[in-house]
Amino acid sequence: MQLTKKHKTTAQFLALLVLGFFSFLMLEITLRYVPARSTAAFLQIKQTEVEGLWYYLPVFYTHVYASICCLAAGFTQFSPYLLQKQRNLHRTMGYIYVVVVLCFSAPTGFVMGMHANGGWVAVLCFTTLSVLWWWCTLQAVRAARKRDFRRHRFMMIRSYALTLSAITLRLWKWLLVQLFHPAPMDVYIIVAGLGWIPNWLVAEYLICKIKSK
Amino acid sequence: MKYTGSLVLFFLIPFFACNSKKKPGEDRKPAALVQELPPELHTELYGNWVGDFVSMSDGTPDYEDVARINIRLSRITAEGVEGRSVVKGNDRPMKGTLAITGSQYSFVMDEPGNDRHDGRFEFSIVGDTLKGKWKAYKTAEVKHPVKEFTLVKKPFRYNASLMLPEDWEYVDYENGRTQTELYTNEDGTVDTSINKVYRAASEEVYRLNGSTEEFSEKQLKNLKKLDLEIIRNTIFARHGYSFKSKGVRQFFDQVDWYVPVTNSIDGVLTEVEQKNVALLKRFEKYAQDNYDTFGR
Repeated sequence: MQLTKKHKTTAQFLALLVLGFFSFLMLEITLRYVPARSTAAFLQIKQTEVEGLWYYLPVFYTHVYASICCLAAGFTQFSPYLLQKQRNLHRTMGYIYVVVVLCFSAPTGFVMGMHANGGWVAVLCFTTLSVLWWWCTLQAVRAARKRDFRRHRFMMIRSYALTLSAITLRLWKWLLVQLFHPAPMDVYIIVAGLGWIPNWLVAEYLICKIKSK
Repeated sequence: MKYTGSLVLFFLIPFFACNSKKKPGEDRKPAALVQELPPELHTELYGNWVGDFVSMSDGTPDYEDVARINIRLSRITAEGVEGRSVVKGNDRPMKGTLAITGSQYSFVMDEPGNDRHDGRFEFSIVGDTLKGKWKAYKTAEVKHPVKEFTLVKKPFRYNASLMLPEDWEYVDYENGRTQTELYTNEDGTVDTSINKVYRAASEEVYRLNGSTEEFSEKQLKNLKKLDLEIIRNTIFARHGYSFKSKGVRQFFDQVDWYVPVTNSIDGVLTEVEQKNVALLKRFEKYAQDNYDTFGR
């Protein structure tokens, strides 16, 4: 079936709706950490780190509060309309996104990844994710500054795909638990990789498709 | 001025209240009375008599409703018998009489009657077996007003190294979940089947001992909620805690060493146990909130 323009608009609208729904869920998760406490939600099983590492709590809360901002970028930054007609908005939002990822979310994600639950496999997956995220985002800014917007676009697709791992890894977790009821850390190790590797592959596929046009 | 009287009273009341509370045992134990107490008899019958408390419906035992009961005989004199019954988290005092015919000791003992589940115990001890019946006073208010039991004497001693037996499967049959499944027949038609799904505990429930070692978070992270619950309740079971919930009782009522002796373990947990219970509860809460939901 050939996709008409109407189909595409509907699909884009639906995608935006899904993104909105899950971003809202992420906001709800973030709000569980307001006000900041040392025993909120996830921290209930992280007391070894909370009590043993002086930097864990500040790093954790920086990650939680900063990262919710990154998701919002998806609503504006990939819209061709806003890209062409509202370049200033795109630029401002873009700088916020880039600063948040480069200075706050990715570095704190790396530190948290170093102390991830689930042993070395999870540590490797989470730290790799944060390094890739940081690197792609940095490359995207540098490309934009060199006015290489093609490369900027590809790098941002990769960066945002990795941003979305916040959603996809929780979705995988939910799905795996519904289907197989695995032990909590078994599922944790699986989603540490499953959360972002398929996203990365989808990003590469999209880039390939754009390139072949 | 007219309030002075009541004001003075108001401030005096707490003093009287304190005074009366301070010495609860004062009027119970004047030295003169102790010597006048009647001599104790048949002290060899003292102790915990433990076994199944089986509901009877229409004269036949209903093995769906069985709980471990402990009848503790603590005082026998010519004037009467005192004891307690501990079952399903109810720890009740009881008083009654003893009649002896040959080698048979027959008891009739009454619980106070101010609890919905109070009733009369009638049992006899022959040799090392205690056998009898219980009838609720308020037969209309309880589900199974008649119970039967055959008990044996079992001493209770706290032992930190007691573990759940390894040769069992720990499955939560009390809290099943119905699951609807679709399956395709050979002829291509699709049927639905409704199955009950039960949670099963992992082997860690008879490996991790919360009374002898202080747990680290790392040890507990891969455990499911049921594992955490069982490990925590095993700590309580070692102290002879009588569990109210059938969901918990199903794991302990069959365990050989388990003797329910109390429904309060305030202050008896060791320091290690207290720490572990707090940690386990935190993990249970996390599992409850996060295991099968979106988020963490």
